[in-house]
Amino acid sequence: MATFLFVVPPLTGHINPLLPVAEDLAKKGHFVAWAGHTEVVSQHIPASQPCFPLPSNESTFVDENWHKVRGLESVKFFYEYFCLPMALRCLAPLEKIVDELNPDVIFCDHQMIAGALVARKKEIPWVSSVTTTASILKLLDVIDNWLADKLADLQKAYGMKQIVERPDFSDYGCVVFSSQALIGQDKEYFDAPYHFVGPAINQRRKPTDFPWEKLEDNKRKILISLGTVNRDRCTRFYDIMIEALKDEDVQVIMVAPENYEAEIPDNFIVQSRVPQLELLSHVNLVVSHAGHNTVCETLSHAKPLVVSPIRDDQSVIARQVVDAGAGLSLRFGKVSVAKAKQTIFSVLDDPSYLLAAARIQRSFEPLQGSKQAALVLESLLDPSQERVYANG
Amino acid sequence: MSEHLDTIVSLIRQAVNEDWIDEFEITAETSFNNDLELESIEFVAIAEKIQQHYGTDINFIEWLGTLSLDEMIELNVGQLAEFVEQHMAYV
Repeated sequence: MATFLFVVPPLTGHINPLLPVAEDLAKKGHFVAWAGHTEVVSQHIPASQPCFPLPSNESTFVDENWHKVRGLESVKFFYEYFCLPMALRCLAPLEKIVDELNPDVIFCDHQMIAGALVARKKEIPWVSSVTTTASILKLLDVIDNWLADKLADLQKAYGMKQIVERPDFSDYGCVVFSSQALIGQDKEYFDAPYHFVGPAINQRRKPTDFPWEKLEDNKRKILISLGTVNRDRCTRFYDIMIEALKDEDVQVIMVAPENYEAEIPDNFIVQSRVPQLELLSHVNLVVSHAGHNTVCETLSHAKPLVVSPIRDDQSVIARQVVDAGAGLSLRFGKVSVAKAKQTIFSVLDDPSYLLAAARIQRSFEPLQGSKQAALVLESLLDPSQERVYANG
Repeated sequence: MSEHLDTIVSLIRQAVNEDWIDEFEITAETSFNNDLELESIEFVAIAEKIQQHYGTDINFIEWLGTLSLDEMIELNVGQLAEFVEQHMAYV
């Protein structure tokens, strides 16, 4: 039995894929503990796995501006005001946790950089958890160089002897919850030992009420879900969707903010939360903001997408979907009723998108997601053993 | 300046080629990130078109490479036109 420490940021999308990995290790008799913002992490993890608290991320500036930035600006904002200050704040408390727990292996989210630096300083074997493949791809020199400078400053501030370009990626291995078939073959990666394990889908979610009896067997169904952070951003997108689809012979399940006020057409089911994973088996198409988890879950069900990215990594993931042939994209703030209708029916009516989604599904299957991630982590326990490599 | 601005606006409209862009007012102050909602990769494609249009007389792509991250985020159509204007003046 070994002790694994999972270090995560207070972001549900980064915690979810790690839950089945922790479960798999626990089943094999290992002890899994977490370090993170307890109020977020403890909502997700089982009672048998303790969570060591890291200082919370209180910033009214971030809360107020998080929703306002888009595109390249949102990438800078994310690191400058969220990720890097969080790393600085968490370094000392995390060092203390690691000293007390003495884990055999640390599994550290790639955007929880304190974990990476502490593991390196304490010389504990560690693996990076990459929950969005936008991070491992080179984007533009201007942003890649800016980030490298900021990461160098952080390493200097922590007194690291060796400054590396990307301290968030471990030399021991980086578990990437996707496949190269989705990422695309012609992409330029940062240099690191990647293990492409495919999506790790957390099957144990809190039950959410849904009027299943309202789903009509003989109608094609569309799920519209923009993810919680983007959901409340602006209601224009939802208004457009209603206008575009209200008179069509389809059934639409739309996740909208609780306070969303509109006349809901008969062929729409609008809720603020839905059982997304269960719904994926029933729908023909998903309209999404191109969050990494939603995209991977949708493609795991071999369903095509219409993607409408807003911020952070979403435009990179959206492009992966389009390049893979598994969907089309809509420009979030500019979409018109006519364009929405045309794009959605282009994907619904053309089976080539479905076939491409099925191709990505097949690329995920042999990679075994959380099981393979757990094997990668275990392979670090015995250095004499050959490392496990997964090549999606 | 306005001649180059018109050319650049027209190149942007052609490159984006979506329904909204025809009616979207593009001025010198229109920013690529916030107003046009262009992703980095789309902006690069437009930059290449502008470079192609003006040919080797100007080092447009090279100039973009010298901008800081903040300058890239704030970059607007007028700044592109201004660069072309200034550079063409010396040719």
